[in-house]
Amino acid sequence: MSDATVAEALRSAAPLVVVEAPGGCGKTYQGASYARDVAPGLGEGRLLIVTHTNAACDVFADRTHGLSRVEIRTIDGLIIEIASAYHQALGLPADVGAWARRDPNGYAVLADRTALLLTRYPMIASCVARRYPIIICDEHQDACADRHAVVISLHSAGSMLRVFADPMQMIFTGTAAETAAAEQRWADLKNAADRFEELDTPHRWANAQPALGAWILEARAALRNGNQIDLTGALPAGLTVHYADNVAQQNMGFRVAGSLSQPIYARANFQSMLVLTGHNDRVTALRAFFNRRMPIWEGHVRDGLTSLVADTRNQQGNAAGLAQSTVTFIGSVATGFSPTAFGNRFVAEAEQGCAKPCNGKPQHLQAMARHIVERPDHRGVARALDHLRGLVANEPAFSNVRFDHGREFAEAIQLGQYDDPDDGFAEIARRRTHARPKIPAKAISTIHKAKGLEFDNVMLLPCDRANFGDTKAARAKLYVALSRATTSLLLIVSKAKPSPMFKT
Amino acid sequence: MPDDGQQPADEAPYIRLLSIKRFRGIEDLTWLPAKGVNVLLGGGDVGKTTILEAIALLLNPTNATTLSDADYWQRRHEEGFEILAVMALPLTCGIVEQRKSVWPWEWCGEGAKLPDLEVNNGQPHDPVFCVRVCGTPNFDLQHEICQPDESFDHFPVSVRRNIGVVRLSGDDRNDRDLRLLQGSALDRLLSDRTLRSRLADKLGETDVDGELKDEAKTALAALNRRFVVRLLPSQLGLGLVGGQGFSLNALIGLMATKDGTKLPLSSWGAGTRRLAAFEVAALHQVDHPIIVVDEIERGLESYRQRILMEELIANPSQVFVTTHSAPAVNAAVGAALWYVDTGGKVGSLPASVAAQQKRDPETFLARLAVIAEGATEVGFVTTLLTRSIGEDIRRYGIRVSDGGSNSEALTVLRGLAASGLAVAGFADNEGTQEGLWQQVKEKLGDFLMRWPNGCLETNIVPHLCDDQIEAFITDAEGDAGERLRTLADRLGIQDKSLAAILAATGDIRQLIVGAACGSPPADAGSPNHQKKEWKKHGQRWFKSTAGGAELGEKVFALGLWPNLSPQLLPFVNAVRTAVGLAAAQTVD
Repeated sequence: MSDATVAEALRSAAPLVVVEAPGGCGKTYQGASYARDVAPGLGEGRLLIVTHTNAACDVFADRTHGLSRVEIRTIDGLIIEIASAYHQALGLPADVGAWARRDPNGYAVLADRTALLLTRYPMIASCVARRYPIIICDEHQDACADRHAVVISLHSAGSMLRVFADPMQMIFTGTAAETAAAEQRWADLKNAADRFEELDTPHRWANAQPALGAWILEARAALRNGNQIDLTGALPAGLTVHYADNVAQQNMGFRVAGSLSQPIYARANFQSMLVLTGHNDRVTALRAFFNRRMPIWEGHVRDGLTSLVADTRNQQGNAAGLAQSTVTFIGSVATGFSPTAFGNRFVAEAEQGCAKPCNGKPQHLQAMARHIVERPDHRGVARALDHLRGLVANEPAFSNVRFDHGREFAEAIQLGQYDDPDDGFAEIARRRTHARPKIPAKAISTIHKAKGLEFDNVMLLPCDRANFGDTKAARAKLYVALSRATTSLLLIVSKAKPSPMFKT
Repeated sequence: MPDDGQQPADEAPYIRLLSIKRFRGIEDLTWLPAKGVNVLLGGGDVGKTTILEAIALLLNPTNATTLSDADYWQRRHEEGFEILAVMALPLTCGIVEQRKSVWPWEWCGEGAKLPDLEVNNGQPHDPVFCVRVCGTPNFDLQHEICQPDESFDHFPVSVRRNIGVVRLSGDDRNDRDLRLLQGSALDRLLSDRTLRSRLADKLGETDVDGELKDEAKTALAALNRRFVVRLLPSQLGLGLVGGQGFSLNALIGLMATKDGTKLPLSSWGAGTRRLAAFEVAALHQVDHPIIVVDEIERGLESYRQRILMEELIANPSQVFVTTHSAPAVNAAVGAALWYVDTGGKVGSLPASVAAQQKRDPETFLARLAVIAEGATEVGFVTTLLTRSIGEDIRRYGIRVSDGGSNSEALTVLRGLAASGLAVAGFADNEGTQEGLWQQVKEKLGDFLMRWPNGCLETNIVPHLCDDQIEAFITDAEGDAGERLRTLADRLGIQDKSLAAILAATGDIRQLIVGAACGSPPADAGSPNHQKKEWKKHGQRWFKSTAGGAELGEKVFALGLWPNLSPQLLPFVNAVRTAVGLAAAQTVD
C-alpha cells in the first residue's frame, strides 16, 4: 500500500523525502496528519508548510487547525520575510512585499536574490532551519528554480524536507527551456532523496465515482509516458465524450452546431458544474455561450487591476492617460464598453477637461470623465468606475455593458478609499486572501485558475489540436483539467481538428 | 544533516561589542570585550561597576526592574539611555524561535554589518545578533532586538534567561538573593509559585487571640466596648493581615546548619554570603551564562580570590570582573585586562604586559604607575618623588614599579601607554631600540624620563667635586670598605685606601662609574672569573632599591641636584600634575 509506505517514509529520520503525489491521492491528508503527529514533539521549533497559493494555505490551515507549532505560508511569503529583513543588503526598498507586487517581475527577482543570499550566507539559512526543523513543501512542481534553491538552502542548513510534487501538474512554467530545467530539477530532487515514494490511491473518487478516479490515474500515466488517452473502448462510469467541433468564426470564440449543443447546455443545468477551457479570452466567450448564467471564477490573481494600479501611479496628474488606463481596465473585466461606442469619447472628454456641453450618453461619459479631471489619480479613477456601475444599473444606453469579473471591478472601486494605490492594492489583496472567496456552485474558469479546485461535475472544452497539442505543457494542462472532476466529466472532443493526445 | 561548520551552536554566548549611551555615569562608551574573562581595572568612580550593571540590565532575566532618574546620565531622563550589545549567540538560546523571526548580522571585526552579496571571499561567516535595552524618558525599560532591516522587535525574557547572566555584585544586595523575594535568584531557582498562598493559609489558621496574656485580652475587650459605643465595627479579634510592601516570602531565607544549629545564611560572613548567592544564581542557569563579578575581592581572602579567578578563567563563559586586588590581578593569567580611565574609555592592556602582571600586579591598580627599569631606578625615583611631594607617595596612588630590565620596561610602557592607564617611565639609555623608545616618548612626553646618554651612575658621578668623592663612596652605615675594595680590584692593587686608589688611577670618577655599573674589564680577553667578579661589583654600590634610594639622597646631600634638574624636573612636575599637585620650581 503506497499510503502506508508514504506515511512511514514521512515519519522516518530521512532528511529528504520526496513524494510524487497526483491530485486526489491524499497528499494533503498525508501532509496534515504527519504535521499533527510530529508538531507536538518539536519543542521550540516549528513545522513549516510551504505552499504556492493562498488557497492551498487555507486548505492546510483547515486540516491542521489547533496545532500551535505549525506555520503555513506561501513560498513567496517566506521569501518576502527573509528579503525584508535584509532588504538593504539585497538593494530593495523597505516594503519588499509592495515592491514585489508592483514590479511585473518582482517575485522572480526576489526569489533570485533571496536564493543568492541564503547560498552565500548559510548563517541566515541556519537560523531559518533552526526555526523550522521540518519543512513540508506542497505542490513543489510549481516552484521555479530560485524558489527551489531557497528551499534547498534551508535543507542544507539542517531542515528536514518533505516534498510533495506532481510533475504532471507543472503548468506554470513558461518557455521550453524553463520546462526542461524544471524537469531536470525534479529528476535531480528524486535522485537526491533519501526516500522516494509515490501516492497511487485515488481517494478523492472513492465514494462518488471510483471508476472515474481509476481512469484519471490511468490517463495521467498515459500522459506522463507520452501515450494517448484511449477514448475508443468502454468508458468508465462518470466519463462522457461528446464529439463536437468549435465552429466559432472569431478567434477564441466558442460555438457548436445547433444540433450538438443540447448535451452541453443540459450539463450546464446541473447543480454543480465547472466549465474548463484553456484561455482567458475563451472564458469570456463561454460566458456568452452559456447566456451569462454562469459566473467566471476569477481566482486569486487580478491582472487587470495590477496594471491599473501601476498605471495610476505612473499617470498621476495626467487625466487623459488615466482615462485610457480606465478604458483598458474596463475592457479586461467587462464586455460592451467598446472604444468606439464609449471609450474614445470618454478619453477625449478627459483630455479636453469636460468643457463642451452635451447631452445623452456623451453627458454620462463626461460625468464619468469629470471625476478623473477633478482628481487625476487612483481616487478619480475609482469614482469614475463607481459612476459607471450606477450607469450600467440605471441607464438603458449602458445596459449592454456586462461585468465578467465583478470582484475585480469592485476592488478597483474600493481602491479609491486608500491614500496610496499600492498600499490599497496590498490591503485589498490581503483581505481577499483572508476572506477566502467562496467558490460558486457553478463557474467558468481557465485551467490555470482552476488548479487546486474540485467540482462534482466538470466539462472541458474544446478538446482540439489548438488547445491540446502534443507538448509536455499541454499534457500537464490536460491532466490538471481531467483531475478536477469527482463525479462526472464531460469532454467536448473535436473530430475535425483532433488533439493528438486522444485516441478516438 | 549537512554541517556547514558555521553555527556557533556549542559556544557560550558572548558580547563582542558593548555600547552604553547616557546610562548612569557613562555618557558614551563603546567597547569590544574579549571572549573569556575580562578584568576591568581603574580607579574609583570611573564606571567599572556601571559597565557590569549595564550588562546585567541588558540580560536581566525578569522584567521587574524599576528605574530612577539616577539611572540616567546627569539625571537627564528626558534623553533616555541605551545599552546595546552585539552578541555571538548559540542558536540553542532560542532567539530564532520566537514568535517573530529574528535575523543575524555579520560580525566585521568592529561591529555588526549587513551581508554583502558583492563580497564572496569564501570566508566562513561570523553571525551575531544585536540586542539592546533602552530606558525611556518615562522610566520604562524596553528590551529590544535590532534587526538588519533597522526595525526593532521585543527581546523576550525567555531568550534573556536562556542566554543567562549570573551576577556577583559588590554591594550587600546579594543578601536579597538568599531570600525568597520575588525575582531573587532563590525565588527563580525554586520557582514554587503557590508557596506564598499556601503559607498564608496556614498562618491564617493561627489562633492569635488565644495566645494573648490576660491583661492584653482585657485591653482588647475595652477597645471593643468603645467601638460599640462609637458605632464602629465590633467583635474585635486579632489575626494575621497582609499589607502594602509586606511580603511573607521576604521572611523566608536560606538556612544552613552550623555546629548543630540552624542559622540563616545571611548571618554568615560577607564572602560566604557572596559565594552562596553566586552558586544559587549559577545553579539554575544555562550552561555558560555571562558572568559579572563586581569587586571579586570583596569579603574573600587572597586564596579564595585566586581560586575564584582561576575557576572563572577555566570556565567557557564570558566573564566581566572588576577588581582592585593585586592577588586577583596576579591570578588573572590568560584573562584580558582592561583599564577604564576617568573619561569612561576602556583601554586594552595587551598580552605583552603579562610579565609585569606577574612581577607587580599593583602596577595596574595605581592611580599613576611609574615603570622604573630596575631596582636602582625604583629606589632613586621613590626618593626623588617623596622629596618633591613631601610625604608618602603611595597616599597619592603613585606606584613605582620595577620594569625588570631596560627592554622589558620598554615593552610594558608601550603596552600601557596605549591603554589609557596613567603611566610614567624612568629608564637608561642603552642606545638600543631607539625607534620604539621614540614612539613611547611621543605618547608620554615628560612622563618618560630617559637619559640622553647612559644611566643614573654615568649622569651623576661626573658631577662630583674632588672633596665629595669620599662622602659619595661611603654608604648609609658609614662603611666604605667594600666599595673601595671593588675599586682596588679594578686597579689590580692590594691597598684599598682611597689615597692608594687615587694614586693609582688617572680618573677616579670613571673608575667609580665602572664599578657601580659592574662594567667588564676593557680587555675582552680577560679571564671569565674576572668578568664575573667585576660584574658583581655593581651590587656593592647602588644595584638595589636601597642603593637607588641612597644615590637619590646623595644627589641632594652633595648638592648635585642643580646639575640634574634640567633632566629630572620636567619628569617630577609631570608626576605632580598627574596627581593634582602644582608644578614645582625645584626639589629639595
